[in-house]
Amino acid sequence: MLKQLSLDGRVAIVTGGGTGLGLEMVRHLARAGANVAIAGRRVPPIESAAAEVKAAGPDAIAVPTDVSDSSQVNALVQATINHFGRVDILINNAALVSDSVPIPIWDLTDEDWQAALDVNLTGAFYCARAVSRPMADQGSGKIINVSSGFGLRGGRDIYTYCCTKGGIIQLTRVLSFSLARYGITANSIVPGFIPTEGTDTEMRESLPRSGAYLPTGKLGVPQDIGPVAVFLASPASDYMTGEIFTLDGGGLAAGLAPTGYAPEFPLEP
Amino acid sequence: MPVLSQYSLEGKTAILYTAGGNDAPFLAQAIAEAGASVFTIARQRNTLDAVQEALGGIQGSRRGVVATLDSGDAVAGALAEFDLLHNQVDILVNDSRSMFARKATEIEQSEWDAVQSRNVRATFLLSQAVGTRMIAAGYGRVVNIISGLAERGMVNGLAFSVSQAGLLALTRSLAVEWGPHNVRVNAIGTGWSIAEDIPVEVQREEQLVRYIPQRRKGHPRDVGPLLVYLCSEACDYTTGQPVYVDGGLNAHP
Repeated sequence: MLKQLSLDGRVAIVTGGGTGLGLEMVRHLARAGANVAIAGRRVPPIESAAAEVKAAGPDAIAVPTDVSDSSQVNALVQATINHFGRVDILINNAALVSDSVPIPIWDLTDEDWQAALDVNLTGAFYCARAVSRPMADQGSGKIINVSSGFGLRGGRDIYTYCCTKGGIIQLTRVLSFSLARYGITANSIVPGFIPTEGTDTEMRESLPRSGAYLPTGKLGVPQDIGPVAVFLASPASDYMTGEIFTLDGGGLAAGLAPTGYAPEFPLEP
Repeated sequence: MPVLSQYSLEGKTAILYTAGGNDAPFLAQAIAEAGASVFTIARQRNTLDAVQEALGGIQGSRRGVVATLDSGDAVAGALAEFDLLHNQVDILVNDSRSMFARKATEIEQSEWDAVQSRNVRATFLLSQAVGTRMIAAGYGRVVNIISGLAERGMVNGLAFSVSQAGLLALTRSLAVEWGPHNVRVNAIGTGWSIAEDIPVEVQREEQLVRYIPQRRKGHPRDVGPLLVYLCSEACDYTTGQPVYVDGGLNAHP
């Protein structure tokens, strides 16, 4: 039963894999036995992540990639297949963290809007498109799209992030339905508030500094996402597809009402 | 085969409640294989026997009681049996999907009450008693196995769907109320499933199966590893969530 949670010998591509949640998913996938192609725009973080994986045992390559450019995405998948011989898992994690900084609608430029669509949504589509053929040919594959609590709820003045992350959930559903017949599953992970190095520097003012209003009473840590990513990447989730896996401290179950506020009403006569 | 150590349930004690159906042996096996001791509360003797048989090869898990959890006293009686064997409870798994299907205009009140009682009220009463202990201990994991009919309608499905929607609301509410006590409450939603191994070619003769994106019915084995994760310490930041394992039914129109 538990051996279904092993990724022994599998090959994964993780976009945005050099930092934050992506890096933590890379670490957990490798610990579960997967070889990893780590993609990102900046070279030093992905090279350091690849070195860390290799030092731990599995194989890894770092592939500098801007996912908003389909030729770079196709080259990423080709480089992965050239090096490892196959691709079993895609984690679409790359996103512009800066676009969840609140901007009033009248100040949001054409360029802001387009840049977010290009990376967050189009990039995920390009990656899914590029892996789907080799996955279909081998009759198996796992596509994991990282959405956000902002893909299910609105954030004040957070247009591009909410809209693209909502789009990710719909992309997941269509992929799951369309690729099921080829043995490919597609699921979304919905992280709630999980501070990372990136969000700490770029979004200090727009994220809550404490999880006091969450049912768990605390914010998440990047390590929380690791076991969920491994589960969705492994045969253990083979009958789960088109779904949303939420790890948000209970925020969506509760709404954002302060959890300490709990009025009591006596039973009516 | 490398497996993350975070999934281990070694040293944990679990209570499994089953209101009906044939999935309990597989659910018990999953958490027992991950290392948990399993105490089963079954509404029917044959279900308990099937669970015990499934756990036959796994040490320390062949325990349980047959009980109808229709009152606080009944729950206390079942837990008294548990207390003879264990001094702590870390995990509660409720499989409350006792099935019933009848045209809305023909459902008898007694049938309605029986479905809501064994599926919802029993789960509430047991969760209340076990959750009280978990709150005192400052740790707990509760997983409710529910049907996807919690969120959809089905002809003849009224009474059962209402019970499953109730369990989904119970999941969310307990998650919010018990979150500060380090008790996590989640649900696994199932689609059309069957606890038998039937070749997919045979399954696909049924129109219903051809409607499922993965073109086969679910099997309780499909949810085993997810159940283990939701019962584990690693499941710390996920609470109040239904996770559906349904072959893609939810993505389907």
